[in-house]
Amino acid sequence: MNTLIANGKVPLAKHYNEDRSVEWSVKDKLLLGLSLSEYLAQAFRNPLNWLFAVIFTVGGYVTITRFLFGLGYVTHSSYDYPWGLFLGFGLFVMVPLSASGFMLGTTVEVFGRDDFKPIERLALLNGLLGYLFAVVFLQVDLGQPWRLVYPMFVSLGPAAVLFLVAWHVATYLSVQVAELVPAFAEWMGMPKLKTFIKSMILGLTIAGIILSTLHQGALGALFTYAPGKVHPLWYSAPFQWFHFFCSSIFAGLSMLIVVSTICKKTMAWRCDKNFLTNLDRLTIGLAKGATLALITYLVIKIIAVAHDGDWGYLASGWGQWYMLEMVAGVILPMILFTISIRNNLPGLARFAALIAVLGIALNRLNTALITFNWKLYQEIPHWREVMICITVYSLFIVTYRFILYRLPILYTWQKDEEAAS
Amino acid sequence: MKAMNRRKFLKGSLLGGAAASVISKSKNADASASFGGYPDTMGVLVDLTRCVGCRSCEAACNKEQGLPAPAQSFDELSVMDHERRTSEGAYTVVNRYEIPGQDHPLFRKIQCNHCNEPACLTSCFVNAYTKTPEGAVIYDPTVCVGCRTCMVACPFYIPAYSYSSVLNPVIKKCIFCYDTRLKFGRPPACVESCPREALTFGKRKDLIKIGNQRIKNHPDLYEDHIYGENEVGGTSWMYLSSAPFDQVGFDTDLGTQPILSYVKEFLTVVPMVLTIWPALFAGFHLLATRKDKQKKEEKSEI
Amino acid sequence: MEHIPKYLLSTFIAMLLCFSSYSTIALAGDGPDEVEIDSLAQLYEPVYFDHAMHEEVTDSNCAVCHHHTLGTQIDDENCMRCHAESGATDEIACQECHPSNRFEAEYLNKIDADNTLYHRDKIGLKAAYHIRCMNCHEEMGVANGCQDCHSRTDAGNKFFHAGNYAPPESEKPAGGGH
Repeated sequence: MNTLIANGKVPLAKHYNEDRSVEWSVKDKLLLGLSLSEYLAQAFRNPLNWLFAVIFTVGGYVTITRFLFGLGYVTHSSYDYPWGLFLGFGLFVMVPLSASGFMLGTTVEVFGRDDFKPIERLALLNGLLGYLFAVVFLQVDLGQPWRLVYPMFVSLGPAAVLFLVAWHVATYLSVQVAELVPAFAEWMGMPKLKTFIKSMILGLTIAGIILSTLHQGALGALFTYAPGKVHPLWYSAPFQWFHFFCSSIFAGLSMLIVVSTICKKTMAWRCDKNFLTNLDRLTIGLAKGATLALITYLVIKIIAVAHDGDWGYLASGWGQWYMLEMVAGVILPMILFTISIRNNLPGLARFAALIAVLGIALNRLNTALITFNWKLYQEIPHWREVMICITVYSLFIVTYRFILYRLPILYTWQKDEEAAS
Repeated sequence: MKAMNRRKFLKGSLLGGAAASVISKSKNADASASFGGYPDTMGVLVDLTRCVGCRSCEAACNKEQGLPAPAQSFDELSVMDHERRTSEGAYTVVNRYEIPGQDHPLFRKIQCNHCNEPACLTSCFVNAYTKTPEGAVIYDPTVCVGCRTCMVACPFYIPAYSYSSVLNPVIKKCIFCYDTRLKFGRPPACVESCPREALTFGKRKDLIKIGNQRIKNHPDLYEDHIYGENEVGGTSWMYLSSAPFDQVGFDTDLGTQPILSYVKEFLTVVPMVLTIWPALFAGFHLLATRKDKQKKEEKSEI
Repeated sequence: MEHIPKYLLSTFIAMLLCFSSYSTIALAGDGPDEVEIDSLAQLYEPVYFDHAMHEEVTDSNCAVCHHHTLGTQIDDENCMRCHAESGATDEIACQECHPSNRFEAEYLNKIDADNTLYHRDKIGLKAAYHIRCMNCHEEMGVANGCQDCHSRTDAGNKFFHAGNYAPPESEKPAGGGH
């Protein structure tokens, strides 16, 4: 794309082309205002797409085999470790990293912080796609994915934590889709649709906060079903839900910083001035929120250890692993964020955000897979599971990129009146 | 203009909050009460001093439940050389344990313990499990989505999953022979087949008395504990042993609380968030936008 | 006959006379020589139990198997608490007290209804045989496998997936996943 822009192409950002001679059709908008050959040429030029091609060919085949030959073909068919990477990574890691949606929605709409508006839509998209693909991972993992709607309409088990997760994720996906409709409506030229959604935005956002608090917490509460199986340092009956909820706050904010950095570095042509010039300031702002969540999380984690009297476990091998996770995944980013805020160093904040994201991934994988069944043998996921995870995550990235290239997320859609003048 | 916005905002937040609270249900969790089982629930007392590891119970279960033919004959005792667990083709297995200081090994039959407050039942979001008044914890494969949370929840590692099936993978576990026997007041197949009555079938409350009486009559033989009487809220299948239970492969750290009580802490938070969050965040919104509203008022007055 | 010493003969006659006066004690050789136990008719062939031989082995102490029902002395402390003075009863054969339907509703309801019953934990017939026989065989170091006492029927082989019905050789573990 950069080559094309250097040669004079202007990124499509309104309904008409530069001299108002052509009104862009949907097909034009999809092809970014390029001809089909131009579009394909720029796609082939991108080496990342070659990597994706390989991943989708090999991984796509492996994913299909999961549905042709059953879960037994792509997993170790473990009775002791019923959950593997599909849920461990696809659900438990991706969902907290997608918490940016409700965080920025709340910041802008509820707290009235309009200064965060430039990054709000990116946060909402990050949230929506993250949850959407978490559901894709879920569908790959479920033994009978065609029965996904059973807990809603066929046979309800309301006492179960997973019931809450199922309902909330479904409802929250709708909320997130609705929150992104304004961007879609602008792109498609449907002003009435945008007004309709905007009238409900506060209600939608508050619903989003409620739903997010509960399902982020519920994902943690799922592990309270296994008191003897998750290592005591990662387990806390009263606080597990709060650990997961509080960590989702800084997870979402950090992921947003990471994603916005990637956008700035790889898609600068698509970002407008409003986004780019505010990004450093916004990054520091997000860092502030993340730091508050990090310190809260750290304290409640320590309280949880004290509450159950688990200090003795710190002396073991698992204890050292726990301390590594806390130091590298929580304390280190917290310190780096603080330094970056005090000295206005957005670059350092970005680095801290990356570490925080990895720390969250480590925490979730520890709880769900690594310290799970700590008294039993360890199990390494099947290579086909890893392959499928890579494939679905690549699909997530490709979809993300597809939408970012087109919808007014990183740029502002020029309204017709502005374009005409 | 201001009044219109406020009305819209209140409507919106009420709608949003109401929608979230209606959609999300949670069971009324009474932290103090615990279900001790139906009054006339049946049970089985497994006496490890009587079991000789003949595997007749495994054979009987295989036949009664129409399980696939085993990879090795039920006569093959070498299968007990390594510790086994239940699987999609074996609802019950017998394991052998060498006991330090004892000249003969002990054998333990493993199967679903049919808990009074089953963790599997608690964790199932499609209500696939039912604790029948007869005591069996049965499973409905027609609603199971295959989330496998029950496998995570069961402290005894009992439910197995038919991963090998492509179109209808379901949970596989002992159902106390409910459909074919227990419903009609008959003992399960394993109990009937055991040549030495290592398995005693009867009312759970009677079995506890019987177990205590056996311990009293032979205090040097039995460990003074009926495993399952109180573990995780009490189970219908209980055990007597002549060696400490942890030497015979039992988890002795399970505690007496049913698994549900660990989850109740979160379940009580759910209605709190549903009721408090709408007002709380609507309040934040009002606080946060107060200055903006003031500025707008000043502007319109000028 | 003339080579048998007089003192031996008189001792023998005296013993006969002494023993005959104890009419409440069973005489050696009173029980059946052989008992056919065929309650396992489906899975196993009947057991042809050599009663006479076992009488010898127990030194005619009937209480080893028959508790106090033949009037012989019991050792078990738990039994002695109540049955020290209990003499012979009408029911002697195992099956006359040990039920074959031990866990069926009919029997369970019967013992449930009887408030005066102490032996609620009385084992069924099959267990009575196995526990009594096997425990002693273990002590005496005698053959103690299932088929040492009763061989399998064809139905039994099918049940156990043994003999003609044994599965083909395989590396897979039998039952029990991981």
